Amino acid sequence: MQGAALRVALQTTLLGEQLEIKAMKTGYSLAVAAVVGLLGGAPAIAHHSFVAEFDANAPIKYTGTVTKIEWRNPHTYFYVDVKGEDGQVHNWAMEMGSPNGLMRRGWTRNSLKVGDVISFEGWRARDGGFKGNTRAVTTADGTRLFANSSNSDDKSAK
Amino acid sequence: MQRKLISKLLVACLAGTAAVAIGSAAWAAGGRNAEGKSPPTPRLENGTVDLGGNGIWNLPYITDFAKRVVGGGEIPYLPWSKAMWQYNKGNHVKYDPEGLCLPPGGPRAMGTPYPAQFLQEKDRIVVIFEGGGHVWREIHMDGRKHPQGDALNPTYFGDSIGHWDKDTLVVDTVGYNERSWIDYGGRMHTEAMHTVEKFTRPEMNTLHYEATIDDPGAYSKPWTVAWDIPWGPNQELQEYICQENNQYMADLRDDFGQPFFRQTPKDPDHQQ
Repeated sequence: MQGAALRVALQTTLLGEQLEIKAMKTGYSLAVAAVVGLLGGAPAIAHHSFVAEFDANAPIKYTGTVTKIEWRNPHTYFYVDVKGEDGQVHNWAMEMGSPNGLMRRGWTRNSLKVGDVISFEGWRARDGGFKGNTRAVTTADGTRLFANSSNSDDKSAK
Repeated sequence: MQRKLISKLLVACLAGTAAVAIGSAAWAAGGRNAEGKSPPTPRLENGTVDLGGNGIWNLPYITDFAKRVVGGGEIPYLPWSKAMWQYNKGNHVKYDPEGLCLPPGGPRAMGTPYPAQFLQEKDRIVVIFEGGGHVWREIHMDGRKHPQGDALNPTYFGDSIGHWDKDTLVVDTVGYNERSWIDYGGRMHTEAMHTVEKFTRPEMNTLHYEATIDDPGAYSKPWTVAWDIPWGPNQELQEYICQENNQYMADLRDDFGQPFFRQTPKDPDHQQ
């Protein structure tokens, strides 16, 4: 009964991301990202220069075990042990948006817990350290969440 | 008329008065009707355009003002301001004051991608920004003039006086300090900057923003940028504190590879 009314009030952010997730499966992400833009999805979080610290040409994608979470401003960080190709385990520091932006994208402070096995993707730090800027995370229960990246060129993650 | 249509649609789709009430509330707060159109411009009781309502303005991320120049012309740099812009661009804008959690100042605040709200009083309009270092700006609407001489202390947001020109809020600002950048792209300004901003709300869901930047210290003539800002009905501001754990500041290195923020050298003989 309240369905249609709630749809009227539905936040375009949520709508946009649902569309994008569907679109990624069907391979129309660019077109739908444009639609999301028109709908006026929640803005990306910007704090410092993305390009000063991260390399948009160095995408990373790993699975690992969460060791620490800093749910703080101006960037949330999670730390995750990842076994590299060399067999060594490295502790990656992954930057995300701030809690206000993440909450708008469906996160809570308990979306990640120490010990969770998660997969994540993003871009590596320019200095080559085990640090990156996160685009999206698939949490332990399989939920895929966008990380409110500060990469202004990544239209799909808006 | 449109409102009746919406109500009828809701009734047709879903029996019951409760659904109509909820639907009408959502409609009044913004959103779109069945044809995808925005509700009309909201107004206060005295007829003035209402820049507020139950929602927030989802400020867009305007990183490059050159792409927003009205009429598409070039930014009229003076040689030094062009050189500084190129220098900043060349080092990936790593010295951006906003990266250090300092306020965006000036028109950049309307292109810093955290939401904002307008609080509209009789004698002032206060704009509160979720981002940009937890800042607000005040626009005096009581007919005063700018302070003169040393009474005008340069600040990040300057001294703003506004008036309504029919349905356009016109805001005149002077007294900016030089510690903010015009945009994320690394364009600079001087204390001589004078801005004239125009805010219109042609429909419920859109705030049209226009800013003319007149800074004879940095640009050879005034130039104007503009963009649209979408309304987020039923959304609320949240807390964002840029200063909390800014690891970027700790990692920032200067052009010689040294830490940008140094600790004061300690006197080894000094006993605390």
